[in-house]
Amino acid sequence: MRRVTPDTIAVVDLAVCDRCGLCLPLCPPEAIHLELNILTVDDAACTGCEKCVGPCPVGALAMAPPVYA
Amino acid sequence: MPDVDVLVVGAGPAGAVAALCAKQAARELDVVLLERDMAVGSPVRCAEGVGDAGLREFANPDGADWVSRRITDVIFQAPDDTEVVLANSGLGWILDRTRFDAYLAAQAAAEGACVLVGAEATAMSRNGDGRWHVRVKQRGRADDVYRARVVIGADGVETMVGRWAGLDTRVPARDMESCAQYVLQGIDFNPDAIYLQFSDAIAPGGYAWIFPKGVGVANVGLGLVSLKSDGRNARQYLDAWVARRFPTGTRTGHTVGGVIVHTTIKKTYTDGVLVAGDAAHMINPLSGGGINNAMKAGRLAGCTAATAIRANDTSERRFSSYHKAWMDMLGEDHVTYYRIKQALEHMDDAFLNSLARTVNKIPPDKRTLGRVFAHALIRHPQLIPVAARFFV
Repeated sequence: MRRVTPDTIAVVDLAVCDRCGLCLPLCPPEAIHLELNILTVDDAACTGCEKCVGPCPVGALAMAPPVYA
Repeated sequence: MPDVDVLVVGAGPAGAVAALCAKQAARELDVVLLERDMAVGSPVRCAEGVGDAGLREFANPDGADWVSRRITDVIFQAPDDTEVVLANSGLGWILDRTRFDAYLAAQAAAEGACVLVGAEATAMSRNGDGRWHVRVKQRGRADDVYRARVVIGADGVETMVGRWAGLDTRVPARDMESCAQYVLQGIDFNPDAIYLQFSDAIAPGGYAWIFPKGVGVANVGLGLVSLKSDGRNARQYLDAWVARRFPTGTRTGHTVGGVIVHTTIKKTYTDGVLVAGDAAHMINPLSGGGINNAMKAGRLAGCTAATAIRANDTSERRFSSYHKAWMDMLGEDHVTYYRIKQALEHMDDAFLNSLARTVNKIPPDKRTLGRVFAHALIRHPQLIPVAARFFV
């Protein structure tokens, strides 16, 4: 089954992110990772569902068009 | 490649108590407690409130240096700031989590557990030798792979151990409270009371709190469900509340985080893995309280792991007893609290304001939570079936 590429995906502003980890269990495809104090969104796994954006207590997550390498 | 019997991931209250109890139950075991951050107990992501009875099962707060404040009163505040002082609401404590978590980890170390700070588990897989291989990063050295007979996931809201073990630890957005908190200095309130304010305008789907750390100093924060918010995030809601209530307070600390107000995950175990505390959503979904829950789960997990290793059986089948013991002890109560939480969502700000005024006509010494609830039932009959399950 081919995955549909979303128009926008989640991006994190690391200058704002507090590394609280709240968004990790909210992500249905488990595309958000927190390792060595850096939050990353797996571009290829993010489905663009936006479930992580509203709950971020500091507004560090936003939707943006993907830039695939 | 170190071989260990029990590897505990996360040195919060669940993990520290799990390590402690595993050692106490089976002294010959190698128990390692991993903490990702450079110091146990820091950063604090917590309002630090805890009930007296549950706490005393694990530590004596009288005169302890890890206590900030003894609490004797609970004050509910309606959306219009009408205060309702509750009688007989029970003793509580505001902890100093930095010191408290370090104290618990030190207890585990004193029993012979190995505590490693700045050590982050980054991956985990089951191997043919019947052990879990856990990759551990420590700054300034090559990765280690720990081979563990049992891994206890006490890694908080992120709950990576559960994820790696194939357990479903995801949370629907409606059951995630987004929280923000300041430490405020130089503010005026009763330092023997915690304050809880309920209002859709202040903290939709949750509540705002003042938890005293001393005279004039408090954790001032709120938790909300973002699906019910007007588009602002938790910190923006908090800024608005603080600007209104404590415009002259000085902010000397801030934190944010998530509180999972759900019920315990369907399965907290698998072959060689137990998940405890926030990582297993073992939080009172009504209050958002998790510290005592975490310690009780940690104790169960530590004892279960130790006795299982002694019996040479760390199978999923054996570990199902952990899940059942937790559900019998507190997990089923959390299901009830979750239903009450859902029912309380019907109360709007106008109702809460009028309820506060009605309840304040009850004499102060008889103003118990039960009576407050009874008045709410008269006005909101849809709560009755829920209340029946709770009180009967």
